[in-house]
Amino acid sequence: MSQYLLQMKDISKTFPGVKALDKVELEVKPGEVHALIGENGAGKSTLIKILAGIHKPDPGAKFYFEGKEAEIQKPIDATMKGISIIYQDLSLFPNLSVAENIYIGQDSNKGSWSKIDWKAIKSKANEALKEMDVDINPNAIVEQLSIAQQQLVEIARALAFDSKLIVMDEPTSSLSSGEVEKLYKVIENLKNRGISIIFISHKLKELFKVADRFTVLRDGKFVGAYDANEVDEPKLIQLMVGRSVTYEKNQSENKAGETIFKVRNLSKKGNFKDISFELKKGEILGITGLVGSGRTELAQAIFGVNNPDEGTIELFDKKLSIKNSEQAVKNGIAYIPEARQIQGLVLEQSVTKNISLPIIKRIRNKFKLINRKKEKELANKYIETLDVRPALPDHPAENFSGGNQQKVVIGKWLSTDPNVIIFDEPTNGIDIGAKTEIHKLMRKLADDGIGVIMISSELPEILAVSDRILVMRKGRISGELDIKDATQEMIMNYSLQGLGNVKTPDISVQSGQVSQEV
Amino acid sequence: MKLTKESILGLIALGTFILMSLIAPGFLGSNNLSNFLFQLPEFGLLALGMMVVIITGGIDLSITYVAALSGVGAALMLTNGYSIISAIVVAIIFGVACGAFNGFVVSKIGVPPILVTLGTMVLFEGVILAITKGNSISGFGDTYSLIGNGYYMGVVPLSILIFIFFAILTGVLLNKSSWGRSIYMYGNNEIATLFSGIRNSRVLMKVYLYVGLLAAISAIIMTSRYNSVKVDLGSSYLLQSVAAAVLGGTNIHGGYGKVIGTVYAVIIFQTLSNGLNLLGVHSAIVDVFIGGILILVLTLNFFSDKMKSKKESRVSSVS
Amino acid sequence: MKSLFKQKEFSIIAIIIVLSIILSFVSPVFLTIGNFIDIIEANTVMGILAIGMTLIIITSDIDVSVAAVTTAVAVIIGSLFGYLPDSWLSLVIIFIAAPIIGLVIGSVNGFLVSKINIPAIVVTLGILNIINGLVLYFTNGRYLNSTNFPESFLAFSDFELFGIPILIYILAIVAILTWYILKHTFIGRSVLAIGGNQQSAVRVGIDYKKVKLFVFAYMGFLCGVAAVAQTAYTTAVDPNGLLGLELMVIAAVVLGGTNIHGGRGTVHGTLLGVLLLAIMENGMILARIDTFWQKVVTGAIIVFAVSYDHISYKRKQAKLAKIEVEV
Repeated sequence: MSQYLLQMKDISKTFPGVKALDKVELEVKPGEVHALIGENGAGKSTLIKILAGIHKPDPGAKFYFEGKEAEIQKPIDATMKGISIIYQDLSLFPNLSVAENIYIGQDSNKGSWSKIDWKAIKSKANEALKEMDVDINPNAIVEQLSIAQQQLVEIARALAFDSKLIVMDEPTSSLSSGEVEKLYKVIENLKNRGISIIFISHKLKELFKVADRFTVLRDGKFVGAYDANEVDEPKLIQLMVGRSVTYEKNQSENKAGETIFKVRNLSKKGNFKDISFELKKGEILGITGLVGSGRTELAQAIFGVNNPDEGTIELFDKKLSIKNSEQAVKNGIAYIPEARQIQGLVLEQSVTKNISLPIIKRIRNKFKLINRKKEKELANKYIETLDVRPALPDHPAENFSGGNQQKVVIGKWLSTDPNVIIFDEPTNGIDIGAKTEIHKLMRKLADDGIGVIMISSELPEILAVSDRILVMRKGRISGELDIKDATQEMIMNYSLQGLGNVKTPDISVQSGQVSQEV
Repeated sequence: MKLTKESILGLIALGTFILMSLIAPGFLGSNNLSNFLFQLPEFGLLALGMMVVIITGGIDLSITYVAALSGVGAALMLTNGYSIISAIVVAIIFGVACGAFNGFVVSKIGVPPILVTLGTMVLFEGVILAITKGNSISGFGDTYSLIGNGYYMGVVPLSILIFIFFAILTGVLLNKSSWGRSIYMYGNNEIATLFSGIRNSRVLMKVYLYVGLLAAISAIIMTSRYNSVKVDLGSSYLLQSVAAAVLGGTNIHGGYGKVIGTVYAVIIFQTLSNGLNLLGVHSAIVDVFIGGILILVLTLNFFSDKMKSKKESRVSSVS
Repeated sequence: MKSLFKQKEFSIIAIIIVLSIILSFVSPVFLTIGNFIDIIEANTVMGILAIGMTLIIITSDIDVSVAAVTTAVAVIIGSLFGYLPDSWLSLVIIFIAAPIIGLVIGSVNGFLVSKINIPAIVVTLGILNIINGLVLYFTNGRYLNSTNFPESFLAFSDFELFGIPILIYILAIVAILTWYILKHTFIGRSVLAIGGNQQSAVRVGIDYKKVKLFVFAYMGFLCGVAAVAQTAYTTAVDPNGLLGLELMVIAAVVLGGTNIHGGRGTVHGTLLGVLLLAIMENGMILARIDTFWQKVVTGAIIVFAVSYDHISYKRKQAKLAKIEVEV
């Protein structure tokens, strides 16, 4: 028998226009915590979705579980084999009790009319939760639980399915430090019981606390698998990025000019608090922080689709009152959203119609009807200047690759003649060539006097593009850095524990930090 | 040359028409043809209205009661001695007001249109019953009856001209106005329109107002033609208008739909019901036909979409 | 949520009590056991249909064909009566045939919704039209009275146990059966699960197409039961008698706390919703309010209930803090 619990080899996956995975491999030993790391778009999620039976790999993939060749067609196949996936968005039923959430899948092969054994479910759920040493009432309705508790319920479910392998996708992204600690204990506990865990996370430091081995992916390719004692953090970063040289430094020689845009004490309950910053002419302001730190919520508040409770926004020293996105557009604020295919584009419609959408009222003739000629010219102009390929203005946006779709979105917003553009994860899921193009474009916009804000989780991108960096953590600005003295390490520190610079994040220190902050 | 969905439908409409002229006795008789033309506008207007709502991904189940209520408005004015113009104005006000109510609940509160219009369907019906006590109101005078029964220049039914006017207006608004553009974009992806500076609620509000207007115009033609109004005025058109919009190629999930397609579908249905009637088929069976066609078309759509997506073997999401 | 849920049911109960007190002043007849039994018996059909509709709405769908399906089954059993001998066997046959016919029609709805992916509103509207057309064609709108009903059926319809009419027992059986399915069987829990989160359901291996098929088929089954109840109650078959009842049914379900966004709904909540509508109707009759106004009130209630429901849903969504902001 092989020494591996799971072996995936030669896994490739092609989406229309993108090769998401290219001969990737992943091998997990019994009872180990295996970290799967890579930047956004490196292919981690795609790999996991293949493991879960959501995506089918391209032909030629080899897949072994417990030494036997395995085939996973749909999600339940994976579960039945003993592979449980805990997605970032969780797979719970908010309207059902904890106990039921843990056991619901168990009866699916017993037949539709099988009787639910409530007593057994409750006692077993109680047991599973006790075994994990967590204190959750099995009768509680799931939607009343905190995210951390919900996650533990998912782990309990995995245990109830007798899982031999549990995949956790960014499990700590929305947990407090105490909760993270608790999760580590649970993981330790699982490990001692011989259960393997694949742990996906961006937080390298925390991974070193739990992971036995690392598999590194980069741009859909397999970089290597390493024992935890073979590598250290800088080494991993280098392996993950692998191209510290490929991001051209994109800062400008030009000095930042006068302040054009000001945000004062912006707060929204459950989103962000006390956000103040200024944006100067000619600069690119980078905003970073972990997923769930409130960056996107802040951007959307500025853009009028997530109205803040209090605070002010000023453009050219004029106070703006933005209650909806129409007013934002009128005031020259543009937002290039993170979810390109959902928020950014109407995929079914043509490139032309997408580009003209925000300014459709501005290109009307004297009969108040759309001036088709003008619309066409406009679309062609941006297709040309942004080099959208293929240059087919009448084709639906869904036929274009990620990078070209993003260019269409950018074109759409440039057409509004904006004063401020907020780019939210602008190069997510885009190939490296197009990334550099978009970075250059952002710089050009800044040089042309447009205020540019870039939100990104990708630290090398933040460092390559921004002139000034705001770091957010738990809905607040935890640090501000000038590009001249910013390093990845410093940004990481701010994202993890806020103001105050402590080298290694230590839980006890961290909670001390929290109290200092208050 | 590749035929569009709509031109295929046009050919089917033509085919149905020829078929009926061959098999249905008296189909091409001048009496029947003028009957055909006089019946078409009221149904056509409602179908156009339904199409616009369906393009937004919604549905308006109250449309026929909106029409009936408008008809009652006009009838009350006429029977109380007011002028025809004021009757028409009141009918339109009633229709638009009903539309505003639907529009408010759908666009401002955000309740799914099915539920809202299900409720207002009962509500408007109740209001009509409360006003009319379940009786019909009739006797609107000869001049008023010209709207639905008269000819323009002695040949073309006036109501057909009204229909053509509104068909063209709807087409122009949908294809050339910023509102129309927003309707299609909203129908495909309301999140993207929201993130593009479109006021979704305003777009939707106008949609329901416009449907109210079309329902009112339809009601004016109907009341004029029948010289009477009752609570069930045009109620048989509810499903027919949904069916016509869908047969006409309108995507039931929103985002696509063309005036010409719906017009062809209306002609097909009108030809079928008129021809089957001449053939002695019970009018109830015509309803069965229409329900059957609706489900058949959607089933065929499902399979053809499936074939297409198999061919392209597209994957829904890139992680 | 459970407490809020209770609150919602509590508020319906409170409204029912207040309404009852007012009505007892309006008419001394109102607050008698006899009147209450009459009210419930008269609304057995609505109750049975509303119980089935609860499952459909829990899964975020809708069925507007219920009244038509019930009428169709009633017409079929009505014409079947002509061929049936006057014996208890006829009763058995009717009780087997009616639900099966309903089940078949419901399964057609379910198949089109779950496998062919046509929106439920369109499917059921289409089926509604087809059935109404066929019913009209075959009956010509004619009322079928009890002259050729078997004596055994008439005896059944008059049967009372402990002074309570048989129909109320049927309603109770349907309620308990549905409650049991919803609470104690895997398919019932799956109904709640796909209503709660369809994606999660797929991930844990629940076949949501099967569940959708089930809820529509079960609805059809209950339409068959309701058809028997309707025929027994009126001892006649009126092809137009149930016109528009589907709207009242939906109103009752929504009033009873079932959420169109799915995942929430109980049999007892729905029964309270039915009771509220029934008392209101009864009250308006006792108060001699024009029956026409009843529609206005019903329509207003539907609009109000769905709006209220939606607003509280949105509030709740907004409250779900996305980020634990440090204070």
